[in-house]
Amino acid sequence: MKIKVLKTGVLSTIQDLGRMSYLSEAIPQSGAMDSLSARVANKALGNQDDCATIEFTYGDAAIESKTDLLIAYAGSGSILTVNEETLPMERPLFIPAGNIILINHAVYGARIYLAIAGGWDVPLVMGSKSTYLPAGFGGYLGRVLKKGDLLNNAKQLSDVSLAFLKFLCGDRINYPKWSIAKRKMLPGHLYEIRIVPGREFGWFDAQSILDLLSAEFSVGAKSNRMGYQLGGAKMKRVRQQELLSTAICPGTVQVSGDGGMILLMADCQTTGGYPRIAQVALVDLPLCAQLRPGDTFRFIEISRQEAEDLAIRRERDLARLTRAVELKVEI
Amino acid sequence: MTNLFIDIYALNEGAVTVVFGEEINLILAGKIRRFNETISRYPFPGMITTVAAYTSLTVFYDPVTLFGAGLPGLSNFDKITHYLKNLAIETNLDEVMPTKIVVPVCYGGTMGPDLDLVATAKKLTSAEIIEFHSSATYYVHMIGFVPGFAYLGGMNPELNMPRKTQPRAIVKAGSVGIAGAQTGIYSLDTPGGWQIIGRTPLRMFDAERQQPSLLQSGYEVVFKPVTMKEFEYLKAHNDEN
Repeated sequence: MKIKVLKTGVLSTIQDLGRMSYLSEAIPQSGAMDSLSARVANKALGNQDDCATIEFTYGDAAIESKTDLLIAYAGSGSILTVNEETLPMERPLFIPAGNIILINHAVYGARIYLAIAGGWDVPLVMGSKSTYLPAGFGGYLGRVLKKGDLLNNAKQLSDVSLAFLKFLCGDRINYPKWSIAKRKMLPGHLYEIRIVPGREFGWFDAQSILDLLSAEFSVGAKSNRMGYQLGGAKMKRVRQQELLSTAICPGTVQVSGDGGMILLMADCQTTGGYPRIAQVALVDLPLCAQLRPGDTFRFIEISRQEAEDLAIRRERDLARLTRAVELKVEI
Repeated sequence: MTNLFIDIYALNEGAVTVVFGEEINLILAGKIRRFNETISRYPFPGMITTVAAYTSLTVFYDPVTLFGAGLPGLSNFDKITHYLKNLAIETNLDEVMPTKIVVPVCYGGTMGPDLDLVATAKKLTSAEIIEFHSSATYYVHMIGFVPGFAYLGGMNPELNMPRKTQPRAIVKAGSVGIAGAQTGIYSLDTPGGWQIIGRTPLRMFDAERQQPSLLQSGYEVVFKPVTMKEFEYLKAHNDEN
């Protein structure tokens, strides 16, 4: 299977579930900002969760099917169409050769993930196919996708992918009636981000903590895959001691010198020296990934134990989903 | 219970940070290095990797694998705390010697544009700056900032020098710089504010290499002055090393 990029979009890169094994060498995790959507797109095809996907930010892109394709997409921020027909999310899509797929901007959200049966075929760099733009490695030649790029799938398909292909193939666009209901795994409110108090939570005054847990914050214009600058109340320190650099990770909320908060995202550095007021619950990082500059949200405090329970429950739900997709083949 | 480390806290649902002390010193650094070596030799189920820093070691793990592994404790945090405390008691932590790396550096000129500036500020000659900088043994406290960037401790306090007030838009990979009491080597072309006194021909970071970062936390480093000619030769023969 092969596609050609006709229009590159705002920021389109290859991402999988990230590069965890080289953090000690200061190689960022990277990977899909909304890993839940990337995994759902892969699961819908019977792929392994860590198959490479294309992360399209704010859409505005177009691709052409140079061969027949079996693809799936998930996330928010864009809708795929072919000849003005909307392609539904979260299910396998058979697209015959010679179609132009438009990736159009949607009202809510920022990022969608386009998966293909077998995953996109790019080399593994340090154990991952994710693109890390600041150092120019991983993904497709270490860079954003550009007009004219040709991308292939990896040739090894799972039995589930082969079965979907056999069932759906033909001379027209085809897809099953079912879809994965990713929404059911998300909390009721998409603009409430759950946090656990960070290591230096106690370094800030009472008013700052009240603001942190009750006021609205907005995603700043200077936000990218490394992190979001948050607009809103400033956090005032009561402890002024210098903090020695230590490990940080996506979801860490740091407070910079001027009291502004920075929410670290997928491409963040591996160590940092700003006080950490909070840590976003792992299960809510996908919600953060869908926030756009200007969007407002609130933080909700939960305990470390609740965050851990949520993470494990989410993984159980996802494992069940894999089985459910396999069952679609058996019927 | 052991007093090897003083605290453990959760960074997120897939990482805990073990705190060994509160200030930078070599005794603490040695403890962190040995504990890192030990846990790498005896990983727990689901452990992914570790990140050493000045006073801490962060251990990353897969929450589902750890949770299902049957270690004592009701939560992952309890399981890991229990495991790490036992590990600290049961293992012999005194046997690991640090790896030593010799880093050739061409000091001054276009390679080290701030050398003369540092010399003037310190009321020393450039030759003395080079002598001081290349006669110490440095310790890699951590790799951070960008891939392969090593924070080195152990610099002669005579060389302490604040960062540049106006950072450079691009500092070339291999540049050796001073910032406060620290010295370090830029691993990639990046913006930077350190005072640049020389450059190494070694490739500090290479995504294609088996070990992408030449330096690892816990290594010892010595700088060896080389001429421009030697620099060019070594750079041309980088791939053979």
